[in-house]
Amino acid sequence: MLQNIFFGLSLGAVYSLIAVGFALVFNILKFSNFSHGGVMSFTAYAGYLAYILLFDGKITGVTMFVAVVLVAALVGAVTAVGIERVGFRRLRRNQAPVIYYFISSITLGILLENIITIFASSNFYSYPVFFSSSNIQIFGTSFSIADFVTLLFSCVALGLLLFVLYRTKLGLGVRTVSFDVNTASLMGIDADRVVMATFAMSGALGGISGVFLGMNYSLYPQLGQLVVKGFIASVIGGLGNITGAVIGAFLLGIVEVGLIGMVGSGLMPACVFVVMLVFLLVRPQGIAGKIVQEKA
Amino acid sequence: MDYIYSILTLTGITMIGVMGTYMVTGLTGQFSFGQAAFMAVGGYVSAMLTLRFGLPFPVVALLGAAAATLAGWLVGLPTVRLRRDYISLVTFGFGEAIISVLNNSAQLTGGAEGLVGIPKRVDLPLVLVSVICCLFLVACYKNSRYGRQSLALRTDELAARSMGIDVNRMKLVTFLFASAITGYAGVLYAFYSQYLEPGYYNWTVSAEWLIIVFVGGINSLTGAMLSALVLTTLPELLRFASSWRILIYCVIVLLIINYRPNGIFGDWEISRLWKKKTSAGASKA
Amino acid sequence: MNAITTTSCGLLEVSSLSKSFGGVRAVCDFSFNAQPGEIVGIIGPNGAGKTTAFNLVTGVYAPDKGSVKLDGVELSGLRQDVIARAGIGRTFQNIRLFKGLTVLENVMTASDPYAPYGFFSAILALPGKRKADREAADKAREYLNMVGLGGMEDARPESLPYGLQRKLELARALAIRPKVILLDEPAAGLNPSEVRDFIELVRRLHERFNFTIVFIEHRMEVVMNLSHKLFVLSFGKLLASGDPETVRRNPEVIEAYIGEEE
Repeated sequence: MLQNIFFGLSLGAVYSLIAVGFALVFNILKFSNFSHGGVMSFTAYAGYLAYILLFDGKITGVTMFVAVVLVAALVGAVTAVGIERVGFRRLRRNQAPVIYYFISSITLGILLENIITIFASSNFYSYPVFFSSSNIQIFGTSFSIADFVTLLFSCVALGLLLFVLYRTKLGLGVRTVSFDVNTASLMGIDADRVVMATFAMSGALGGISGVFLGMNYSLYPQLGQLVVKGFIASVIGGLGNITGAVIGAFLLGIVEVGLIGMVGSGLMPACVFVVMLVFLLVRPQGIAGKIVQEKA
Repeated sequence: MDYIYSILTLTGITMIGVMGTYMVTGLTGQFSFGQAAFMAVGGYVSAMLTLRFGLPFPVVALLGAAAATLAGWLVGLPTVRLRRDYISLVTFGFGEAIISVLNNSAQLTGGAEGLVGIPKRVDLPLVLVSVICCLFLVACYKNSRYGRQSLALRTDELAARSMGIDVNRMKLVTFLFASAITGYAGVLYAFYSQYLEPGYYNWTVSAEWLIIVFVGGINSLTGAMLSALVLTTLPELLRFASSWRILIYCVIVLLIINYRPNGIFGDWEISRLWKKKTSAGASKA
Repeated sequence: MNAITTTSCGLLEVSSLSKSFGGVRAVCDFSFNAQPGEIVGIIGPNGAGKTTAFNLVTGVYAPDKGSVKLDGVELSGLRQDVIARAGIGRTFQNIRLFKGLTVLENVMTASDPYAPYGFFSAILALPGKRKADREAADKAREYLNMVGLGGMEDARPESLPYGLQRKLELARALAIRPKVILLDEPAAGLNPSEVRDFIELVRRLHERFNFTIVFIEHRMEVVMNLSHKLFVLSFGKLLASGDPETVRRNPEVIEAYIGEEE
């Protein structure tokens, strides 16, 4: 029981990284950014490559884990910034309708996935084992170390992000732009820079989640499709709301683990769908969100 | 020859599927992200009815489309009230849910191994006739009060409401019609390929359809159809590996979105040629 | 002062409408009415809550409190499209035309909710559907001619010059055959000659249909020329009302306007 809750929490932690990366972009540009999945796949492979090419045999254990995570976060940030340049910058200039952003993001996601498929083929790779022992005993129950580290690292990353958002000038800029891009630029905020920074943060989170996904599952090009979990979580939490996304992600993690116990992992997606549909009916604005209404 | 024959048949079926995506995305501006799932519903229901009860093809074709419509109703009814991007999530979730159910009901549907032994009832002529018929229905729909109201609400829901348009109902009607058409595409596929597997209805298929619609221009049915024709046949004929094909699609879409945001065809429709002729004739007379 | 007209059974009867957004009272206890065939102006400084009042009347937002009655029928709390079909048409401050449709089709959308044919006639293009659509198109053409957009049926609304877009929006709102039409700053962005043209157009249409018009406007030329009755809104509250001349000389109104300019 306790073990399951813990597993649910650790799953929720990964989901929350995805959801927050997703919510960050929604927050400022008001569209669902599916290219985030591509970033996750890409960084998961980048982390793996870094391990093979740079770190293998030189460092081990936790050091290696940290190094891989950092590389992935960096690659994620750079990729996301690149995506913003290619996929969204011009759309913002043209004041394109939301549907274009959406299509652009899906396209970029699929593009990254297929680039990976072409270069790495659709084979599965497995991530290195970072930790020598796989379980630790606390209060007589054994917990998986990987889960434990996932939870810990996710919380640190999220804490860092919240610090940036609420305690720095950059964060203030992001929050202002999220209110209204045009007004913010009138107020002398360099919207381009803020949007870029947001994508960088979102990409870094995507990178970290990519590594966790690679560790938990294995490495395959479609890994990034798990971005949907982040989407579901941030819808549950209220689109664009960072705290809501975190809460939604943990809820989703726990619900999924619970459902696996009840109906098995095969039917779990169907049940999650039903749960989500019911949730949307009862509370369409999400846990924390307000309904974004069109201005008249 | 057989090879070209089969490409043309599959392209025709894709075109019908794309019509569904065109309606949901092009007419009402919702992002259908699980359109292929309705194809799965149509295909599986019709195939199973034939295999279990031996019902004749025309009957199961109708029932397959009806089942897809019913599924569309279940998904659409709660969703049309929500913010537009939610429908992408719900249709996506629905797609995944359908696949997971299909995979886990091996006794009924053959599970992940697939459903075999479907009789062959569909050939190229039937598909061609179907494409023409469906195209006629969809074009008429677009050019009716339903199409106009859908297009109106796509650009501006608030203004549409101020004109007395029941936005949610209109979204639902269009969504249901799209589900029916896509379901019929599923029937055709089932009775052409004689074999169904859940993996075929993956969300990437839905995404591919969305991309096809976008390349042709979300305002143009003509564009969507031509782009379906070209983007499905050409890579097959040139024998690209599938990942390269998708890569090229993606690059095209990115170029279009950035530099020609209304798609290749903008809002041009082939029916305009005809209209111009008649109006010219009318003015002469 | 503050002589709130208390004539009963106006065509449009709005009473003590209130709405707050997150603690900001956008509209507070606002009442106004319009008799059949009357042209009513609502004026007030920027941010006074005029557009919000329109949005409350047309059901874009649900009011926190208050009632909206058309011909004695309570409309507040109903859906926006239901209110529109009940007979309230409107235009928008920032023109909101349907970009995916032609000029003619924009106007046709007004009759589409009532069009007398069903789904199957639509997809099969049965004769009944064609006839209904032809009639709707003719009707729409009439409205376009009325506002001076004849001959531009097949143009795209976004390709029209600004002044014509305003007219198209007006034609579209007229086409739902409203009992009351709400115009939100209909003359905004028009040049002086277009403004005079516009005043003439509204007069002509009003003579022809004799419907009730409620409009928000900043241009005093339009306000003084058209309105039979004025309501002044300031900080969400009714400041004054009455015939245009009286309102114009009301010291509170002058202060509110001058206060704004400081």
